[in-house]
Amino acid sequence: MQIVTETTDAARPHGGQVPFGNGQRANRLRATKLGGQIVNDYWSDLFAAKDDGRKVIWYNGTYIPPFFQAANCAYVHGEAWSAYLAAKHGEIPAQARGEQRGYDRELCSYARTHIGQALIDLEKLKSGTLGIEPDSPRALTMAKLPAPDMIINAYPYCSSGQQWDDITYRLFGKKVPIFHVSVPLLWGGRPDAGYLRGEEWNDRSQYVARQLRAMAAFIEEHTGKKYDWDRLSEVMSYVKKASELRLEAMDLCAARPAPASFFDWIVSIAHVNFLPGTQRIVDYFEAVKAECHERIANGEGAVRNEKYRLFFDGMMNWNKVGWLADKFAAVDACVVAGRYTHMSFWQEPQLIDLKDPVLGMAQNYLICPNNHGAPIMIGEINKLCDKFQIDGMVMHASRTCRGMTNSQFLIADSAKRHGRQALFFEGDVADESFYKDELLNTRLEAMIESMDAKRRMVA
Amino acid sequence: MQDILTRFEAVAARPLAYAREWKARTGGAVIGIFPMHFPGELAHAAGALPVILQEDEEPITVGLSSVFNFYCGYNRSVIDQAMRGEYDDLDAIMFGDHCVQLLGTADVLRDHLPGKPILFNQLIGTIDADWAMDETRGTFRQLRRDLEALIGRPVADEALRASIALSNRNRQLIRTLYDMRRSGQAALTGRQMQVIVKSSMIMDRATHTALLEQLVAQIRPAATGGGQVRVYLSGHLCQAPKPEVLDLIEQCGGHVVDDDLYHGYRYVAGDMDAEGDPIEAFSHWYLDRNHKTPCPTRAAKGRDWESFLLDQVGAARAEGLIVLMVKFCEPHMYFYPEIKEAFEARGIPHLLIETEHEHMPLEALRTRVESFLEIVRRRAAA
Repeated sequence: MQIVTETTDAARPHGGQVPFGNGQRANRLRATKLGGQIVNDYWSDLFAAKDDGRKVIWYNGTYIPPFFQAANCAYVHGEAWSAYLAAKHGEIPAQARGEQRGYDRELCSYARTHIGQALIDLEKLKSGTLGIEPDSPRALTMAKLPAPDMIINAYPYCSSGQQWDDITYRLFGKKVPIFHVSVPLLWGGRPDAGYLRGEEWNDRSQYVARQLRAMAAFIEEHTGKKYDWDRLSEVMSYVKKASELRLEAMDLCAARPAPASFFDWIVSIAHVNFLPGTQRIVDYFEAVKAECHERIANGEGAVRNEKYRLFFDGMMNWNKVGWLADKFAAVDACVVAGRYTHMSFWQEPQLIDLKDPVLGMAQNYLICPNNHGAPIMIGEINKLCDKFQIDGMVMHASRTCRGMTNSQFLIADSAKRHGRQALFFEGDVADESFYKDELLNTRLEAMIESMDAKRRMVA
Repeated sequence: MQDILTRFEAVAARPLAYAREWKARTGGAVIGIFPMHFPGELAHAAGALPVILQEDEEPITVGLSSVFNFYCGYNRSVIDQAMRGEYDDLDAIMFGDHCVQLLGTADVLRDHLPGKPILFNQLIGTIDADWAMDETRGTFRQLRRDLEALIGRPVADEALRASIALSNRNRQLIRTLYDMRRSGQAALTGRQMQVIVKSSMIMDRATHTALLEQLVAQIRPAATGGGQVRVYLSGHLCQAPKPEVLDLIEQCGGHVVDDDLYHGYRYVAGDMDAEGDPIEAFSHWYLDRNHKTPCPTRAAKGRDWESFLLDQVGAARAEGLIVLMVKFCEPHMYFYPEIKEAFEARGIPHLLIETEHEHMPLEALRTRVESFLEIVRRRAAA
């Protein structure tokens, strides 16, 4: 899981290109601009961490930063860093450096970007140079990431994530302490299995909670400071409140037209994924929710002439956030919800007991959008599709993120059984070369025509 | 000797046909197991035939409706086989790996094989974690309970110990063949060694072991001389390399002296304690696996794959390393650069061959292997 900030306007589909569809662009929430400032402040704070004498944790996987914040550690999410580079179109030199060492382009592009960047950083440390023009904007961005004092891996579902952090550990000469939290798959094979229930759920929740407590001890050992559990509760109070507001705002999108789209939620993920738990994220989601209310009152949609309501399945293509938002708007289609945005990032905040939040945190980590076996996961997707009155599914087959492409054919089959259209398009999380715009154009147009034809038949 | 190898070859070539024949003959249950870390002894002790599910030779057709073409050949093939009805005679499937592609495959199988019991108990991937032993014990205990529920009766410790002892003997005999091949006492080609190991993943353990005893007694030394280049094969996790690739290496002048392939030494590297508590035995066997043959799918800070390979290549007196990498195999792709750098630093020639379920242009590969072996010869002569 990831990030992020927004892609630049220059990357949006209209600059010098033949307009797609009716040329309409997405009507983004104004509030997300406020969110961008919090994201930028996070990165600035991170880049200054060594100056402040803070320990820096490189981590991957689920949203464990409240544990780091409570220990006053700076932290960087590998995926977020890769997505940050991708959103700023700076991933290519990092990926090229990884490929130069022999990392195949079929590997997770988050990992390739992150590892490639680490290789550049290490060379920089050794030689005092970046290996690219020092005044290049890319170089300036890349030069900022502080090296790790600890590495923590907490990947639900994806084995690739574990191996990625193993490589990072090895790149730093096995000298940076590393800790793994195993977040096991909820297979859901026993008779009592269900969403948030059953023996497996209870047992695995306790298992992950025990590991999180061990992780806190690991942080305590390497910071030399007693772990501050009260501070964790305080941090989680903001995270919980922000998450509740986010879910309430998302639920407002059941309205027609939907006041916000999946792409607004995509650019709001950083705030519940890794930004510090403070009043600022609460304020941010209050502003988002207020704007949704305002839009509903005014009949204003995220897509100005909303005719179709879609669900986005798969990991985001971080090079193409604005591009895709406009593409769907240009055919009057609002992508209202998504598996990545709506089935993760503290989507069950009521599980968190602020007096002792660890178990509830563990449970939220366990229910990340791919960590359920397919039957339970698809059941949850169908509930969302019903809630948001979805007409069709957009399946992003992210080439190197197999954790999210698993089960996509089953999801599409289920959608069709429920009378929903489905289209697939190929792309990737941070490697733009896998995205083929014209294929999506053709398939999207075909799906829209098909939905029109279906409506005509019903009429 | 040839008769035994022919029997093994028939089983290795058509594993599910053998399983169906065994089931019809014995009336026993057949349990399919996904590679690479799940012990078959539990199923064997329950009276079933454990069969490690294999990639087959068929082109992937109907399966592509349920799996993307950027998944490894093993996963694509398994899904295709399931959708062709090849697994209809399996009584259950057991697995517990955390390979992200395999987890997706398991869900597709659950969907396409409704009613087929799938016993999933995930083994911890971080095998040197402080809690790894407790967690692993718990996983195997749960698996045992699930298996007992499936067959409707308990699986006795004594039966488990007997299955462990039989499997140990089987593995020991194969390791003996490896030792003999390494020292020139056994004339076994790469294809023959693969057939021996692969058939052991499928065939009735007692029958296979009895045949292995005979084979070890009958094996003959390799002919000496001939200017062949001693090569070590590495990689190819989960699925067997195509025998044609092994043949090609030998046709080009290579002499395979050792390997760490899953359908090779990796599969037989470790034994289990046959005397004590079977759950303890399974747990130690699993958690010690990286000490025997490092696996890139497990997280452990101890032994490195590349230093293991350098040691093994030296011990086998191999002159070059050929890495066989399955396309889209993520763990192997992560760790290959370190192997490459380690061998370059040591000045040992190595060659990477990427393999696919289909589309293996063997004549182009022949040129690469010939060139590689020529480089090895020239370096040795220099």
